[in-house]
Amino acid sequence: MSDILRVRGLKKYYTVMAGLIPRPQGEIKAVDGVSLSIAEREVLGLVGESGCGKSTVGKAIMRLEEPTAGEIIIDGQDVIRLNKRELRQMRGKVQMVFQDPDASLDPRMTVGGSIEEALIVQGMSDAAERMERVGGLLDKVGLEAGFAELYPHEFSGGQKQRIGIARALAMDPKLVIADEPVSALDVSVQAQILNLLMDIRDRDGLAYLFISHDLSVVRYISDRVAVMYLGKLMELADKKEFFSNPLHPYTEALLSAVVRLHPGGRERILLSGDVPSPLNPPSGCRFHTRCHRAMPICPLQEPEFKEVSPGHFTACHLYG
Amino acid sequence: MTESKIPVGKRARLSVYFNKRLAQYYWERLQKNKLSLAGMGFIIFLMLLGIFGPFFTQDPTYSDFNLANIPPLGFSRQESVYDIKTNEFITTVIEGRPDHPLGTDSKGRDMLAMLISGARISLLVGLIATGIAVFIGVVIGVLSAYLGGWVDNVLMRFTDIMMTFPFFLLLVLIVFLFGPSLAIIVLVIGLTGWTGAARLIRSEALSLRTRDFITASRALGASDGRIMFNHLIPNVASLIIVMSTLSIPGVIMSEAALSFIGLGDPMRTSWGTILNAGQHTLDTAWWVAVEPGIMLFLTVLSFNFFGDGLRDAFDPQASI
Repeated sequence: MSDILRVRGLKKYYTVMAGLIPRPQGEIKAVDGVSLSIAEREVLGLVGESGCGKSTVGKAIMRLEEPTAGEIIIDGQDVIRLNKRELRQMRGKVQMVFQDPDASLDPRMTVGGSIEEALIVQGMSDAAERMERVGGLLDKVGLEAGFAELYPHEFSGGQKQRIGIARALAMDPKLVIADEPVSALDVSVQAQILNLLMDIRDRDGLAYLFISHDLSVVRYISDRVAVMYLGKLMELADKKEFFSNPLHPYTEALLSAVVRLHPGGRERILLSGDVPSPLNPPSGCRFHTRCHRAMPICPLQEPEFKEVSPGHFTACHLYG
Repeated sequence: MTESKIPVGKRARLSVYFNKRLAQYYWERLQKNKLSLAGMGFIIFLMLLGIFGPFFTQDPTYSDFNLANIPPLGFSRQESVYDIKTNEFITTVIEGRPDHPLGTDSKGRDMLAMLISGARISLLVGLIATGIAVFIGVVIGVLSAYLGGWVDNVLMRFTDIMMTFPFFLLLVLIVFLFGPSLAIIVLVIGLTGWTGAARLIRSEALSLRTRDFITASRALGASDGRIMFNHLIPNVASLIIVMSTLSIPGVIMSEAALSFIGLGDPMRTSWGTILNAGQHTLDTAWWVAVEPGIMLFLTVLSFNFFGDGLRDAFDPQASI
């Protein structure tokens, strides 16, 4: 299997300006050296607490946020070096589904118009052809073609999310970055949308970067799972391996917090305190301030992100 | 599956700016505000008067001193003339006449004709100057918000400078330099009056810019121009309409004030000119000042009521 996306050493720093005459006061390291890859037809779940930088990874891949450093290779092309025209072509290959279906559709545009915009931008000049395609896309996400003429406020949240998916699929992308696509929906609707995403993957051979904070959702949809904490990857493994044999203490804590039908077995690990400020992250291993297995070396030296067993990566001194 | 009959493309593009069902909804909401409807009625009446009235009335500049100071229909005025021959005062009663239903001024000009001419001038100045101001305001506001960075800084500082300008003094100076003509008055009011609009539009566009549907458009590869014209401006359209309506009375008052102090276009009869003439004859012919005063009062009030109603109708959170 060849990789559709390969990210190496991705960094995104935000400079904090403050003062009467704004001067740089420091940097927020939202993403600090993330490396991952997604194979064709693969679903990579990216989990983490809010503010850990998982959405920023998605936006940086789309170049909606300019990365500070790193390499993003999509289909053999380094996205960071693309000029405007090449970038537009690349955007046919990678699309995005957003978290809030209310905010992701223009309230002043018919949903058909929103989907059609993707086709216009990508250079489909024949109006009749576009119209047909819009109808086909709506059909594909389980809506009627006639809905194209309605406005977003005439739809439910789940329907709006379907429209958002139809828009993302407009150009037959190879990779869809789904940024918490179901977290704003009711649980019953969540399942429908997840099934839709899976169906589309099976039919069109898409790959997803599935960003979420909900482990049960990630467990349902992903092939592999990556965990982020404070801008860095903590663990990356196959789904089965990830849920049955978590290595990193942070992953252990996350998994122990998932509500299970049959209590017992694993004991619950409570993380104390808040996520430290990314403006001033802890020294050494970023997680050591909250880690239940912290060792003397942890605050001193940053653990390397390495392969512990085949396909199972983690950044922890326990496995060094 | 229902097929849409109208090409989606054409509909979608058109309806970014006009959505029939939404317009109907706004109209229903507006109808609940009776004051606003009354204001709208008066504005329509004034427009008809300004457009067609002058064809049915006599020349507003035609003066006949034999017919000076005739009171409005239904009123009368006593005039005492000292007769040298008989050495006594002869008091005559002058009644209002049907051919001058609103009376005449001290130079025997027909008040009705002058007021209708004034309506035309006031509306012309109000609409065109506001149009210019709002156009500049929208361009500067949208560019400033969308492009951000140093463009935003430069444009907003320029706006600040324009705001601190004593507008009326500038107007007096320019009229003094270039001579009083309606075109110059309209231009000056328009070219100085955009600052508030620019700020309002900017703040609205700033919050829109971060919404997901704008991000989605960018992710599709839409150009900046497309995003501004198809997403940003349609979404501030209702704000623009309300703002324009509410700023028209200010412009009308400015023109009237200029004419009142004698800096109006001497070739045209505006309400301010009549007011100016009327103030000298308040003791003999009160109607010359009172009638344009009432017109100004009603016009300003109508625009304000109408604008308030529009604002409430456009705001889904406002309870009516």
